[in-house]
Amino acid sequence: MTDQGSGPADPERDPHWELVRAAARRRVPTPPGLVERVLRSVSGVRGRRGAPPIALPSEGGSLSVSETVVVQLARAVAAEVAEAADGVHVSAVALDDGELQVLATVRFGVAADEAAELLRDRVTEELQRQLGSPPPTVNVHVVDVHPD
Amino acid sequence: MPAEEDSDAGLADRAAAGDHAAFDTLVRRHTPMMYRVALRITGGSAEAEDVVQEAWLAAWRALPAFRHQSSVSTWLYRVVTNGALALLRRRRPTVSLDDVHPGPAGRRRSTLDGALVAEATPERQVVRAEQVDAVLRAIARLDVSQRVPLVLRELEGLSYEEVAEVLEVSIPALRARLHRARVALLGQLRERR
Repeated sequence: MTDQGSGPADPERDPHWELVRAAARRRVPTPPGLVERVLRSVSGVRGRRGAPPIALPSEGGSLSVSETVVVQLARAVAAEVAEAADGVHVSAVALDDGELQVLATVRFGVAADEAAELLRDRVTEELQRQLGSPPPTVNVHVVDVHPD
Repeated sequence: MPAEEDSDAGLADRAAAGDHAAFDTLVRRHTPMMYRVALRITGGSAEAEDVVQEAWLAAWRALPAFRHQSSVSTWLYRVVTNGALALLRRRRPTVSLDDVHPGPAGRRRSTLDGALVAEATPERQVVRAEQVDAVLRAIARLDVSQRVPLVLRELEGLSYEEVAEVLEVSIPALRARLHRARVALLGQLRERR
């Protein structure tokens, strides 16, 4: 194929292609803390080895749910709430000392305190609805502000 | 070269058997690549982080079924690429790809003007950086069916065989897509001169 009948047949021989190679050489920094957030998410979802199930109070007794199920459910709910909120992203969800820890980032311009409150309230409500019992306490931490 | 137990394959085997530390080593080793690919495909850093998070969770869930039919890194390329594509399908269609690699205001049209710069004087390095920004913006504007193979082949340096494996397409089909992508990219770069 030629470019308007005058260019080289092979795009990689075009002089501009050197810029594509330069783009390939450009370093893309990994966001600070991303690896740790991933590890925390994975750790939260796989649960602690041998951890006992969580007992949630319910009418006439208690409901036992594994840590993994609670974290997976919380992660899915938090992601849905964040997507609907626009400008909020959930980085990680983990269960520490019987409480859910939700790590979130917000877009520049979004009020972090309002976003955190919204996430905490909605996640708590939705977990309660899905589990049929009061869920573990939900703590939201806004860990970063991103520009886009 | 890593010892057998520290190779990707060895770590994957141990992780599949329940060794959490082995999986964590894979996460530390491959997250920079996963983020780079997700960023180049989605164009947004926050979205790329989400993709990486989900990709690792997906990899953790799928690991017991991993049979080493491809290398671990190729498998992870596939997981993160599929995650990025899934996000693009869900994305609202109003996001401007011009925001992906913003360059200095008012300079976008001129970044590819003039001779391509190779010498490493400070001034020319700045011009070169702007030219590279323009290339990345042009890649981000490509149709996703062209952008993804181009990112994997030209920016990540995967072989044709690896890209075909990641995208689960035949090599002739991949070559055709890549050729169209390269022609489209060059067309954009020339348009902006």
